[in-house]
Amino acid sequence: MINTLAQIDYVASSGTTPWHRASALTKLLFASGLVLLAVFAPSLRLLGGLYAVVWALVLTARLPWRLTLAASGYPLAFTLLFLLARWDGTAGTPLRLLLRPLTASLAAVWLVGTTPYPDLFAPLSRVLPRSVGDGLFLTYRALFELMGRISGLWRALRLRGGASGTARRRLTLAGEGFATIVLYGFDRSQRVYDIMLLRGHSGRICGCHHYAEWSRADLLVAAAGLVVTAGAVFLWKLP
Amino acid sequence: MSHLHIPDGVLPILLWAPGLGLALLLLVLSTLVVRGASRQQVAYQGALGALMLAVMAVEVPLGPLEYHLSLLGPVGVLLGPAATFQVVFVVNAVLALVGHGGLTVVGLNALVLGAGGVLARPVYRLLGRRFGAPVSMSGAAVVAQAVSGALWLVVVGLGLRSGAAGAARVGLFAGVAFPMWIIGILIESVVAFGVARFLARVRPDLLPGGARPVEEER
Repeated sequence: MINTLAQIDYVASSGTTPWHRASALTKLLFASGLVLLAVFAPSLRLLGGLYAVVWALVLTARLPWRLTLAASGYPLAFTLLFLLARWDGTAGTPLRLLLRPLTASLAAVWLVGTTPYPDLFAPLSRVLPRSVGDGLFLTYRALFELMGRISGLWRALRLRGGASGTARRRLTLAGEGFATIVLYGFDRSQRVYDIMLLRGHSGRICGCHHYAEWSRADLLVAAAGLVVTAGAVFLWKLP
Repeated sequence: MSHLHIPDGVLPILLWAPGLGLALLLLVLSTLVVRGASRQQVAYQGALGALMLAVMAVEVPLGPLEYHLSLLGPVGVLLGPAATFQVVFVVNAVLALVGHGGLTVVGLNALVLGAGGVLARPVYRLLGRRFGAPVSMSGAAVVAQAVSGALWLVVVGLGLRSGAAGAARVGLFAGVAFPMWIIGILIESVVAFGVARFLARVRPDLLPGGARPVEEER
């Protein structure tokens, strides 16, 4: 999961397609609309159309297909549970159950794969309580560093015999290892706080307005939004 | 198991919409509680949120299956109820953005995981009157994991029933999920024991007061 996140993060920052150049706010609104349509659309044709649209978005954003499949395929396992439980012998019910989460997760992958995280979190942090908005940035910033540490810790545990013995011993040792990461996290929070002060922290992280800087690429997102809206109006009542 | 995130479109709106509303309300209330917290505390919350996300990627082999940790109990004990709920919400929001759990069910997922997390510190304090930090933390992890897992089972069970699934199918689901829930509780409690044992020796000031020194438990 973290590897997927790291790759998506890289693609979001290094991509050069028009989707990458569009503002975060426009893409956020468009992706939210896609998710809501996927959740509420009663028509199978509309759901199929939406799924085709999100694949077109992902492919034209040049997101690596393996990465896209890995990220968007996660809901499959959980959806299968509902699929088996609600099986009614028709093709429509399972198809609807599959298309809804797959479309929504692909839309989310397109959004995060074309938008660097500071731009993506900035509008969210405007509507969330301050401590939660700041928490989004700080959690994401700490994630890859801590993941690297946990990876090293896991390797060290195996090399030093921490992976042998009873399950209780192995898990207790793993817990002690995670406690070292807690300590590191605590020390790191002090450093981060000092750095925030040094940089003139004003009480809210990322006061930037990049997320709402419009460009020509936003017209493309708006056009895609219009196409999806028109399609939804025409296909909503069809089976 | 409690962090097997529910995707978009499989649960009825009558379940996820009130869940989202309640989660946002609790988020606002939690902000009022932690309003006086220092910026360093917010950074610490961020670090522990990142730790939760990072350990979710760690696979604990269980024969043919793999268990993904959450560290819900230890994080709940270290941060307290209000901050834990915020951290859990942020963790679910980040996961939802990469397709791990739905965007519309972020609130419900946060409630499921957060319900257990907010109980961790009160349980730790209660047990701390009688036991040392490791046992208290382990007990807190048991309660946190048990509550989250039970809520998860309830939510998924309600979702299945609303889809007109037969009672036999819901029973089959419960039969498969229940043993995994128990295994998850056991694993998380032993890991939490290790976390507290180390912290009690090295940095007992990070643990909430009330627990006896670790030496008394040997």
